[in-house]
Amino acid sequence: MTSTPVQLTVRIDPHKCVGSTMCIQYAPGVFALNADRQSSVINAAGEPAERLRAAAEQCPMEAIVLEDANTGERIFP
Amino acid sequence: MPLVLDDLMAPEAINDPHTYYHQLRELERVHWNERWGGWVLTGYDDVVAVLRDSDRFSSDRMAYLETELNAEERCLYQPIFAVLAKWLVFIDPPDHTRIRRLLNTRFTPRAVEQYRPRVRSIVNNLLTEIEPRRRMEVIHEFAYLVPLTVILELLGAPALDRDLIKQWSEQIGTFFFLRADEPRRREIACEGVTSLVNYLRPLVAQRRESPTLDLISALVACEDQQELTEAEIIATCVLLVFGGHETTMNLIANGVLALANHPEEWDRLKADPKLIESAVEELLRYDGSVKATVRWARSEAVVGGKTIKAGQKVLCALSAANRDPEHFPEPDRLDITRAPNPHVAFGQGIHICLGAPLARLEAQEAIAGLTRRLPAPRISTPTLDYHPTVVSRALRNLPIEF
Ligand code: HEM
Ligand code: SF4
Repeated sequence: MTSTPVQLTVRIDPHKCVGSTMCIQYAPGVFALNADRQSSVINAAGEPAERLRAAAEQCPMEAIVLEDANTGERIFP
Repeated sequence: MPLVLDDLMAPEAINDPHTYYHQLRELERVHWNERWGGWVLTGYDDVVAVLRDSDRFSSDRMAYLETELNAEERCLYQPIFAVLAKWLVFIDPPDHTRIRRLLNTRFTPRAVEQYRPRVRSIVNNLLTEIEPRRRMEVIHEFAYLVPLTVILELLGAPALDRDLIKQWSEQIGTFFFLRADEPRRREIACEGVTSLVNYLRPLVAQRRESPTLDLISALVACEDQQELTEAEIIATCVLLVFGGHETTMNLIANGVLALANHPEEWDRLKADPKLIESAVEELLRYDGSVKATVRWARSEAVVGGKTIKAGQKVLCALSAANRDPEHFPEPDRLDITRAPNPHVAFGQGIHICLGAPLARLEAQEAIAGLTRRLPAPRISTPTLDYHPTVVSRALRNLPIEF
């Protein structure tokens, strides 16, 4: 059985990201620290959508923006 | 160099830390303070770099402090260390990662939003009583009651015990905030920690018997999964009670003071309540309640061109970073619409304040309530008196008339 993955676009607001690493703990396939020790997207499709969403929810700054790749609709925050 | 710049506790530094830090930053952004025996960082980029680099800069201040004490002192400090050494803010990964993850879920912006109606009603009830008096002492009649009531309800501690808890928490503060004016600060803090632990232990035991929806019950559930020890639960509760209200109380008071000194900004907020979010961010930047936090270098590191040796301590001056002219145009101007406003009042990196979303919400509701209901106030004292601490920007009291 296969489920159709929801295609999400992921963005990080660099003015908001404080480098807490919460997102990296929840979705290590998607996020990694860059040279400034802020989070950056290494592979938007690196984790199932639920994990990506959980990572975005754990961000203390709501710095992670998720949108539906097809419709452009804002999913989080 | 004028010697006074080495004195972090000089009256000038306590009363007007912003001018003091401007002077220090102009002299040297990364400055060796001989008297304190560590580096003082006043530039935004350096403060951010150190706080985000938890691999090289440790938060384990209890381990550091122990190296500064002799055997006898270590013994005397034992009751404090036993609890504070387990505080999230004083531990490094991997323990930090484990405990932070367990707590983080309960403190995300979404999770705390559910408390907004309750916070609003606490604020409104207080103001209904205060408004007709046309005067108040902001700290003891308003600012502390909002966050303390909220954190106790969130934990599941009876509100009845609020005054006692406040007192114990203040006692812990004499130690935590490095209160220089109190020679008995160790004894006082021991008393505070011990009393709070003795108060919390039966509460934790009771939730173990019959869990509810509160935070203590959630922590006890983690204990069952062997994700937390009892000592960690108690220490965490002490930290949340303590960290969960003093800082927010001070932010509300500092915010009222800043807006009272800029009545045009008070009126602007009154006229346009939608500005409250950016206003609170600006109050955090302009005169936040935590002036500084400490790290120590685990290995040698170069910061702002200076070599910090392994084992040396570093004071990251958050207030100074927040007024660094290289990062904030017109840093000494209060502008409640400032954007972007990437201040560091809640720290940076893995130790970023757990309670930041809650503190924001509380401050937003408190300041919104005040500006909505009251005209711009006058400060009814000629002199402002601050607690002499390096860490905390804390007024002793703030009487206003309106
Ligand atoms: C305006 C109010 C507040 C300010 C300015 C503030 C500031 C800070 C700062 C600067 C840190 C980081 C310290 C460091 O990196 O060494 C911190 C950590 C922390 N704060 Fe707050 N705080 C506030 C309110 C709160 C509230 C309401 C709570 C609890 C509900 C809280 C709980 C904590 C905890 C648990 C940590 C440790 C986090 C960690 O180490 O992962 N704070 N706070
Ligand atoms: S959780 Fe948010 S603040 Fe933390 S690293 Fe990720 S994007 Fe940055």
